[in-house]
Amino acid sequence: MKNNNLKFNFLLFFIFFPLIVSAQVMLSGKIMNDKGETVPFANVIEKGTSNGTTSDVNGQFKIEVSSLPATLTFSSIGYSDSEQLVTNANPITASLKESVEALEEIVITGLATSVKRSNSANAVASISAEEITGTTPPPTLDGALYGKFPGAIVSANSGAPGGGLSVKLRGATSIFGNTQPLYIIDGVYVDNSSIAAGLNVVSAAAAGGSASNQDNPSNRIADINPQDIESLEVLKGASAAAIYGSRAAAGVIIITTKKGKAGETKFNFSQSTGWTEAINLLGVRDYTEQRVLDTFGEDAVLDFISARDSGRLVDYEKEVYGEKGFISITNFSMSGGNDKTRFYSGATHNNENGIVKGTGYEKTSLRLNVDHRATDFFKVSLSSNYIYSSADRGFFNNDNSGTTIGIALTATRPWDNLYPNSDGIYPDHPNNSSNPLQTRDLVTNNEKVNRFIVGGTGNLDIYKSDNSNLELILRGGLDFYGLQTRALFPKELQFQKLSNGGLNGVAVQGDTQNKNYNLSAFLVHNYSLDGGTNFRTQAGLTREYFDRNTILITASGLVASESNTDQAANTGVDQTRQKQQDSGFFVQEEVNFNDMLIATVGVRGDKSSNNGDANELYYYPKASLAVNLHEFGFWNENSKWDQFKLRAAYGEAGNFPPFGALFTSYDAYSTDGILGISLINIRGDQNLKSERQKELEFGTDLSFFNNRLSLSGTYYKKTVDDLILRAALEPSTGYRDQFVNAGSLENKGIEIGLNTTPFMSEDFQWDFGVNYFKNTSEITELNVEPFNIGAFGATLGTFRIEEGSSATQIVGIGPNPGPNGFQVWGDAEPDFQMGFNNSIRYKQLQFTMLWQWKKGGDNVNLSALLTDLNGTSHDYDTIDLDPSGQLGNGAYRVSQLGSSAEVFVEDASYLRMREMGLYYTFDSKMLGGILGGTIDAIRIGFSGTNLINIFDYNSYDPEVSNFGANGIFTGVEVTPFPSSKRYLFNFSVNF
Amino acid sequence: MKNILIRILYCIPFFVGLVSCEVEEYSDLNNAEVSAFENDLNRGDLQDLIGGILYSSRVDLGIYYDDCGVIGREYYRFTSSDPRYTADLLGKENSTLDNNTFYTTRPWEARYRTVKNANLILGFLDNQDLSGQFTNQEINATRGFLQTFIGYELLLNLNMTYDNGIRIDVADENDLGPFVSRDQALNGILAFLDSGASNLASGGSQFPFVLSNGFSGFNTPGSFLQVNHAIAARVSAYLGDYSAVLSHLNNSFFSLGNLNEGVYYNFSEDQTDIVNPLFLAPEGSSAGQARVVQPDFVADADTDDLRLGKVFDLGDDLTLDGLTGNYVLNRYTGTNASIPMIRNEELILLYAEANISTNPGTTVSALNVIRAAAGLGDYSGPTDSASLEDELLNQRRYSLFAEGHRWIDMRRFGRLDELPLDRDGDDVWTQFPIPLTENQ
Repeated sequence: MKNNNLKFNFLLFFIFFPLIVSAQVMLSGKIMNDKGETVPFANVIEKGTSNGTTSDVNGQFKIEVSSLPATLTFSSIGYSDSEQLVTNANPITASLKESVEALEEIVITGLATSVKRSNSANAVASISAEEITGTTPPPTLDGALYGKFPGAIVSANSGAPGGGLSVKLRGATSIFGNTQPLYIIDGVYVDNSSIAAGLNVVSAAAAGGSASNQDNPSNRIADINPQDIESLEVLKGASAAAIYGSRAAAGVIIITTKKGKAGETKFNFSQSTGWTEAINLLGVRDYTEQRVLDTFGEDAVLDFISARDSGRLVDYEKEVYGEKGFISITNFSMSGGNDKTRFYSGATHNNENGIVKGTGYEKTSLRLNVDHRATDFFKVSLSSNYIYSSADRGFFNNDNSGTTIGIALTATRPWDNLYPNSDGIYPDHPNNSSNPLQTRDLVTNNEKVNRFIVGGTGNLDIYKSDNSNLELILRGGLDFYGLQTRALFPKELQFQKLSNGGLNGVAVQGDTQNKNYNLSAFLVHNYSLDGGTNFRTQAGLTREYFDRNTILITASGLVASESNTDQAANTGVDQTRQKQQDSGFFVQEEVNFNDMLIATVGVRGDKSSNNGDANELYYYPKASLAVNLHEFGFWNENSKWDQFKLRAAYGEAGNFPPFGALFTSYDAYSTDGILGISLINIRGDQNLKSERQKELEFGTDLSFFNNRLSLSGTYYKKTVDDLILRAALEPSTGYRDQFVNAGSLENKGIEIGLNTTPFMSEDFQWDFGVNYFKNTSEITELNVEPFNIGAFGATLGTFRIEEGSSATQIVGIGPNPGPNGFQVWGDAEPDFQMGFNNSIRYKQLQFTMLWQWKKGGDNVNLSALLTDLNGTSHDYDTIDLDPSGQLGNGAYRVSQLGSSAEVFVEDASYLRMREMGLYYTFDSKMLGGILGGTIDAIRIGFSGTNLINIFDYNSYDPEVSNFGANGIFTGVEVTPFPSSKRYLFNFSVNF
Repeated sequence: MKNILIRILYCIPFFVGLVSCEVEEYSDLNNAEVSAFENDLNRGDLQDLIGGILYSSRVDLGIYYDDCGVIGREYYRFTSSDPRYTADLLGKENSTLDNNTFYTTRPWEARYRTVKNANLILGFLDNQDLSGQFTNQEINATRGFLQTFIGYELLLNLNMTYDNGIRIDVADENDLGPFVSRDQALNGILAFLDSGASNLASGGSQFPFVLSNGFSGFNTPGSFLQVNHAIAARVSAYLGDYSAVLSHLNNSFFSLGNLNEGVYYNFSEDQTDIVNPLFLAPEGSSAGQARVVQPDFVADADTDDLRLGKVFDLGDDLTLDGLTGNYVLNRYTGTNASIPMIRNEELILLYAEANISTNPGTTVSALNVIRAAAGLGDYSGPTDSASLEDELLNQRRYSLFAEGHRWIDMRRFGRLDELPLDRDGDDVWTQFPIPLTENQ
């Protein structure tokens, strides 16, 4: 049995034991880490006794021991413990190794408390700073989650710079409600909305099919600077997240930012510079005179021949998507402090250009975290973050007006001349309503964010004795941002010209103010029995406020080159307010019997203005048990078994009705100047209940050979009851849809994680990790008629909610329809997903790579069809789809239109090298002579994101979503912004 | 030390706010709820609600007209963004009309939404004492206006589903009436129009609301009654009841004068309004975005026919998906051009039609009014019923071009097989399926 006392010895740091021991042997020394830095405030204990001290600011310590030889143990947060046998009184140099495992030792799972990982009854994934930014600087925080732990499907909606990702934990958690996890940063509930910029007025994307958002906005978690993060815990489902109650059904991601370490002030400067480029361009159709004649007619052949003979055939795909976007990420941080006050401050500036001219992302983030111990019984910590970001996202995705760049490219032939003349005048596109080069160069679509996130926590030890203590924790947090969206379509654009039926210029300005704040108070009582049994009782109150106001002004008929919305012929305003207040309490009791059995029960009660009855309390219970068999003494000290834990956890969590689902309302319009109100086509329900997720998970954690091999396996089953559906209503009612609680959904899944260190020596170490995740969903109950949803109708492949079927099945018309009239063509759910992480260190050289394999899961891919209809598909003449081997792929796909959706539903499997990094570290020993030895370490290297991508999917990237992040029906593609890979050269210095 | 304790205590009241954990209850912060009108409906509210009828009757109207125009082979809808206009609607190869795709569902939903908007207002009028706000005549006039609209909107949906029928009784959203056959539906529509007519007749001299410009000349209960009869004349023609056609025409605004007199849908560029959905600037036409006129329209026309001004010669061909043409639709000439709901030219043609078997001479003279207006000489062909029917359909084709009639006319005369097929394997559909979500 390991000496668990060590774990608690850091308490000694706070409690100064006067060493009134009769002078026998005085030992002194200093404690260094593996980077050659001193470690302040580390604990030094004479093994087997309660005699201990801590190192000072400079890592120096003195300790008196009763006799020699003596064994000293050294420990500090973030380091592996070490021991040293001392046989004489010479000064000692002890070394501590920074350890990822050590960081993982504690997982934050509760609102107020954390638990040792070895005692946790849930499979909580923890991701360290090293994993987030160590291999390569990720484009956004959520972009750093790919493949690093089992249980998540992370997916980018497009390749546009500035983010736009969805993170889904353990399968489909809701059909119409929120499916994105709750993000909590240092106790602050952080908004992760995607707010549309109102491009629909130009794209008319919602006119032909779905009314869902196709504006491709970024999601706001992209604002968070990955470099600031110390650790990130992922509570994947209700069993772990029940204590977060009615917002937790889609999981909770708890982010802890970096804190200062006491001691010498440390500085870090890092610079990453590189570029981004498209991972996969499709290329141009292999045109011949005959093919041009067949597809486009005689006139086109002449154009083709003359362009070909004079070398004027242009690869417009490359022209638009072929840019190398420059990337620069600069980060500066410093941290330090003394035993009373510690601080961390960081500043980051990102400047990234996209693969399309005029697109890019710029972000500045400033952070100051301060921890202050006012007295030995009261401490406060404050974390504050200011972010400015600006994303130019271009004009992509679906439209019904031929105006987005992607749609325009589908109609573009290599012999078309789209370049501006010497006066800068762009020709009108001969085959399309917009000229993509003109659109690219003249259209602005910008999102700007000014955001302030601040959180504060106060801890007050009300009472403390040997075997019990009572702590009060007060916490408040504020997340405030202003988001400006600016879309400008100047009047000289082909599709804005009055002579072409345009609106003579459109400016769309959106302004959103979002303010969330949350307050909470917790009491935590610990009580230990002499036998080693510990009881921890907690109770708390929470209160959350959400307030958002979006004003979207759309102006058309712009005056001259003005972009102000009042300088226009027609101006329209749309205001959307969202307000919500939640209030809740929780109580939880945790019993720890000698670390052998750890049992927890708790309940959360929540009410919310978002429920039909705002002041009705909804209760979310939880219970869990962890059994540490290795603590029972079955194995002796030298056994290969380090850990053998069995665990089971049950919990419930809620998911609010979508905003506005409670109401049946009119919207206001006008008819030739006469105001009118017409029904919104969705019928609300005042009595709608929150969805309730019930999750049971069980699993085991095993580790062997001094933790060099560890295995974790989890099985979960979660059901979602009172599923909120926007079910189709007979349209002759006057409504298209209604919100109802009308079904249940079940997800079952397996998560397996294996981590091993096959080789380990002083000079060479190889760490290898693999994780596996499989989820299957089923609609177990449906009290409304089965209905199709998402995408663009059964002709082109659509999703269908049907009892007994997967929640994400894709159906369509076809030759052998089932009794419901549709043929099942696929399922968006992957068969499984795996991540492979390799880290190889040879002396100062480190190589890491992360691979991700998604097997199965289908998309509805309509990009190819749109190019086929214009005769421009890259594979138009390839013959590998038609079973009879007659038709080229382009003609074949078009021939299937209206008779079968099969060809539009494509396997979206992929295997990617998500991250790769190669670094060389110069440590302080090597840098001793430079600048008087003030440099602690320099790290240089090369890294990349998505450098290798293997997939058999007929477009830029199987990871795509025309309809943004929310909902489960995301894998629909209509001419997206192509995704990109990143190459970065990194330099980092610690001093 | 004590000071610190006191300071800490100062913080506590801040958190005591937590304990008073009543949560505020919000109503719909962004929109007017339906329940807001269930009591104390005032004149301003009624104006807004009627304005909603004017609005929703135009929602997705463009899809309806494109459905009729494309299947009726008046024009093709070229768009690079949606292949289904040139595949499903034209019955390309194996394509069929889908019962859950926008061309079927969206106009259908929008028409029933207008019906619902109207039924809700009728409910507000029935279920509260409004004597302080409105006179009985005003309430009658409002009912008559709404019932006329309900009848008209139902007719447009029946035009789509034809023999598949429609629901007539949809006043109670929780207890919808059944789908009824075409004839039952037409008679049901006539019943709405009849009650509307009698309410309008006892509706006094003024509506308690104003209407858009498209109703100018017909914006009082008395004059709107003529519109009601004009619609009833069309419905009667669809039923083949020509004596009813003539009697309704008699009570309508029918004259052998101004062909364009009638009621119109208005459009504008106001941000909360709708622009004319059938307008695409001819100069901006491309294969990616155009309404290309079916070539026979020009080929079959008399070269002097002034109605050829409804199409625009691009000079060059546009080609998409195996379809080619060099004329584009020019029937509507701006984003705020109005679209007729019903106008006198149609009434004259209904008059001609109703007289074919009984008074061929009247038919010829009515047709000659149409021909003269189009710059053509008098009709000189044979005056047997079959020939007159040919001529009638020909005049309807050019007079009512792109107003949603060609397909319906050819269908009710059993002549869909005469419509041109432009590609091998194309089909002319008789009717749309009932939308999937009607659960039929």
